[in-house]
Amino acid sequence: MTKRIKTFWNKPSHLAYLFVMPVVLLLVVFRIAPMFAAFACSFFDVNMFLEGKGFVGLDNFIEAISDTRFWNSFWVTIKYTLIEVPLQMIIGLLLGGLLTKNTFRNKFFRGAYFLPIVCSATAVGIMWRMFMHSNVGILTYWLKLLGLNVNFLNSTDITFFVIIFMSVWRSFGITTVIFVSAMQNVPGELYESADLDGCSKIRQFFAITIPVIKETFSFVLITRLIGSLQVFDLVFTTTKGGPNYTTETLVYYTYVKAFSNNRMGYGSAVSMFLFVIILIITVIFYKRLFKEEA
Amino acid sequence: MSYKTKKRLVNIPILIVLIIFGAVIIVPIIWITICAFRPQTELMQYPPKFFATELTLGNFSAISQRIKIWTYVGNSVIYCLGSTVPSVFLNALAGYAFARMRFKGKNILFILVLATMMIPFQVIMVPLFLEVYKFGMYDNFAGLIIPNLGAAITVFMLRASFSMLPKELEEAARIDGLTEFGIFAKIMLPLVKPTLVTVIVLGINGAWNDLMWPLLVTSNTNMRTLTNGLALFIDSSLQYGTAFAGAFISICPMFVLYIIGQKYFVEGTATSGLKG
Repeated sequence: MTKRIKTFWNKPSHLAYLFVMPVVLLLVVFRIAPMFAAFACSFFDVNMFLEGKGFVGLDNFIEAISDTRFWNSFWVTIKYTLIEVPLQMIIGLLLGGLLTKNTFRNKFFRGAYFLPIVCSATAVGIMWRMFMHSNVGILTYWLKLLGLNVNFLNSTDITFFVIIFMSVWRSFGITTVIFVSAMQNVPGELYESADLDGCSKIRQFFAITIPVIKETFSFVLITRLIGSLQVFDLVFTTTKGGPNYTTETLVYYTYVKAFSNNRMGYGSAVSMFLFVIILIITVIFYKRLFKEEA
Repeated sequence: MSYKTKKRLVNIPILIVLIIFGAVIIVPIIWITICAFRPQTELMQYPPKFFATELTLGNFSAISQRIKIWTYVGNSVIYCLGSTVPSVFLNALAGYAFARMRFKGKNILFILVLATMMIPFQVIMVPLFLEVYKFGMYDNFAGLIIPNLGAAITVFMLRASFSMLPKELEEAARIDGLTEFGIFAKIMLPLVKPTLVTVIVLGINGAWNDLMWPLLVTSNTNMRTLTNGLALFIDSSLQYGTAFAGAFISICPMFVLYIIGQKYFVEGTATSGLKG
């Protein structure tokens, strides 16, 4: 009997199911099911103990769109994404272009730019909060010496941009490394013939490098867009959405409503707005990609 | 002007750009490292100074009196190892099957796995939390670790590595009388070691720095991980020295990991497009 079981499972076509089963089950239970549950949950009024008014139809959505704080977090997120992503892309492309060759100098700088990625958002938050602290922060002091009085962390005009800066600071090393590896795969002959034609390095960058790495470019763009739309960590460790909600993003708002105010249904409804935006971006991107292939 | 001097002149502005970006990265990191070892009185002085005149370990003993920082560190280590080692093994099994075995429904299952990469974590966090709560996994390691074990990106990366191995290896092992699982565990798995290490290194870094999930599923102070325990502590603290010390403790292990495994960090990022 045990022998029969053993021979049965020793066939690749049978064993394969045992191999894929754990991961497929885990993903179905902890990724796919919650996705559907999120949709369903947004029509209910429930707290974390699953108590509440029960099914409320579209009430959560109606409440969201009539809440000015919701719209504020919505536009903060959009504004944040539209500034952070292009900055990230431009810096990544620029440094990627400068650091393509595998020289000692370039490896050193790539290694240094990557450092913040291993720092937790908490550490990054503490670091910049202290660095920019209004009394003991050394950056604030240095700028004061230059005659600039900047209130980094408690200003309705500036703090939003501080969050963007911190986010770019934290992850431009990733974009750079990805672009470097794409640029290293550009065939060298392309540059050689451009050199013979007397084409400047800058023109080569725009006429050869960027078109050739187009796919990587789109890939980085979409992952950055989706990542930025979900910004939470740095807001949580630095400003908690303040001052005056100027840094409150959609995910932070969701977190406050669902977990601090214990309103799971409402939180799900708010996250549906995020889901729709991300879905639209993904669909546009894949449509474009498939069109190019066809 | 000779070609060489011209090239050098072009290099200077490039070097300046690179150094400016490098300084923006490194100066704050150096500063908090120095500050972690400064006495509290010196930190409160105005004007602030970049370099310390006196060094002390006082901030570290102060933070360990205020919060259970070493418990947090221990929890973080358990979270890191618990969510990478079993995860890599399970995902490797799936990656191997998708790469090298024929079975009915393979394509559909693979698409299903890939589709989960499109699901934004922040959208499913509420129901996922409810699920964990209902399953009795709130405030324990099961809840921290189990929901993160399946990772489509890991399956994807390992599948790519497994599919590059030659078919002959498998056949030779089969003739030698190895079972199918033996072929996977003894022959194939060791051959994709670089990818395994990459996935583990990125996984450890991700878990160590994960803020949101531990924040949602733990509330007991004995269950906090370092990243989230520290984030909750600094809000209630005006002791600058302890905050610096906490940040230093949080950064150190990952810096060491980065120095040892830089190659894996960089390669893994370039191929997987690590989020951040």
